[in-house]
Amino acid sequence: MSSISDDVFFASIAEINQKLTKKEFSAVELARAFCDRLETLGPRYNALALSLRKDALRDAKDVEGDIRRERLRGPLQGIPFGAKDLLAYAKHPTTWGAQPYAGQVFDYTAGVLKRILKHGGLLTGKLAMVELAGGPTYRYATASLTGPGLNPWDTTRWSGGSSSGSAIAVAAGLVTYALGSETSGSILTPSAFCGVTGLRPTYGLVSRHGAMSLAWTLDKIGPICRSAEDCGLVMEAIAGAEYDEPASAHKSFYYTPQFARDLKDVRVGFAPVDFSDGVDPAARADYAKALETIRSLGVQVTETKLPDFPYNAVISTIISAEGSAVFEPLIKSSLVDELADQHQIAGLKAGLEIPASEYLKAMRIRALIQEAFHDLLSTVDVLIAPTRFDPAPKIMQPLDRRVSDRPTPTTQGLTALIPAGNLAGLPALSLPCGFANGMPMGLQLVGSPFSENMLLAIGRSFQERTDWHKRRPPVATS
Amino acid sequence: MSKFTRRELAAALSTSAVLLAQAPPQSQDLPANPDQDLKAVQAQLRGNADQLDKFPLPMATEPATMFRP
Repeated sequence: MSSISDDVFFASIAEINQKLTKKEFSAVELARAFCDRLETLGPRYNALALSLRKDALRDAKDVEGDIRRERLRGPLQGIPFGAKDLLAYAKHPTTWGAQPYAGQVFDYTAGVLKRILKHGGLLTGKLAMVELAGGPTYRYATASLTGPGLNPWDTTRWSGGSSSGSAIAVAAGLVTYALGSETSGSILTPSAFCGVTGLRPTYGLVSRHGAMSLAWTLDKIGPICRSAEDCGLVMEAIAGAEYDEPASAHKSFYYTPQFARDLKDVRVGFAPVDFSDGVDPAARADYAKALETIRSLGVQVTETKLPDFPYNAVISTIISAEGSAVFEPLIKSSLVDELADQHQIAGLKAGLEIPASEYLKAMRIRALIQEAFHDLLSTVDVLIAPTRFDPAPKIMQPLDRRVSDRPTPTTQGLTALIPAGNLAGLPALSLPCGFANGMPMGLQLVGSPFSENMLLAIGRSFQERTDWHKRRPPVATS
Repeated sequence: MSKFTRRELAAALSTSAVLLAQAPPQSQDLPANPDQDLKAVQAQLRGNADQLDKFPLPMATEPATMFRP
């Protein structure tokens, strides 16, 4: 390991950028130190799919030259980052976390990676993921080519998925930030379980060119970082129209928290049950404090509830039908049986049997869900709820069974906010907000389409008043 | 995907050796019988279909096809 101090591995993008421009260390020294750490610790957590040391050091030399000539390219210049292994990086393996694709190599690089590399970002590694981003379903954390994502806070527990390696790498200080993807919960869940900050952008705001498809009408790419501030900086670099992205909203994103609405004008909706009976008892005190902190920002807090829809049935039908259509050639080959999770294999096969009428019914109900959320978000600006209502499960625990045996609350609260928000294409931010028996818990903020700046402004203010996002897991470096 | 020379492919794949050093995937599924798994997933999908059927859907509702809010 290099002489670069541990604090640098957990520093913010702005802090590292400042140290680079002040020449406290060079981009090459920084890249080398992060590569050493990623290669040493990444495999311990099953977080690393592929080290890109050679390319990162080559790019770091270029950055060093640019900084010497004062060609400054913005806050991401010289900052080491990682990418979920569903993003293509030319002439290197892109496995999608799945054995049948272990030797897959593309000759192009994903649009989001090209954007960051253009800003001088240093891609140090591809990060592990749940196979096929979870596909239609999976039962065990072991559903990955690289083994189960081990949570840096307790390696007997799961990291969450499907962006497992991305959240682990940020939490353990193996990269400064990472890119993940979400179809339904794959950025928010690992961010909450690993105690980091994750942003799921509005559908269509970030290009998916060069990314594996799971469900065309749901997939999003977004940042996993240590803070809301860093998420804003990464979003500004990756968002925007892309020629090769048919679902592009053709919008840009400029991170401008200074121009966000005055927080006293922001209406925040929540369901009291989510912060009491609905959540793990060991986390309730921290959630109560989190709610108080949100109130202390000056926002108007009001009670609300989700419109009544069969969210899980709708999203499950859509992901199963679209996912099985995407992977039909795999399903019809014997290679599908090489996947690690039997439940995923069965889910892919069964998805091909979904009738068109059923898929369309789900999509018709989805249209009503989008209308209902449009109405709901005219009465409140932001919805808040625990990101997950229980902490990370044990590695061997089946994921399709309830984690806790506490009684189900009589009122539902906003428990379905992850599938609902994804169906409506809404942006969401997960912030670390406390612990339950030593495991991190997250607070989820969901807003109207393209309200990322407002969510980030609330997140930034929350993190100015709390230090959950600065906590570090007990990473053993020797 | 484009074609690569054997040398290029070997170089690319050798960089992924780290994969081999990591924990091999172990399927811990119960039941171990793939047929039972398939039946379980099919039953789950039927459950989804039942829920969708019960939803009062106005005839004029068109599928969501535009996701640019």
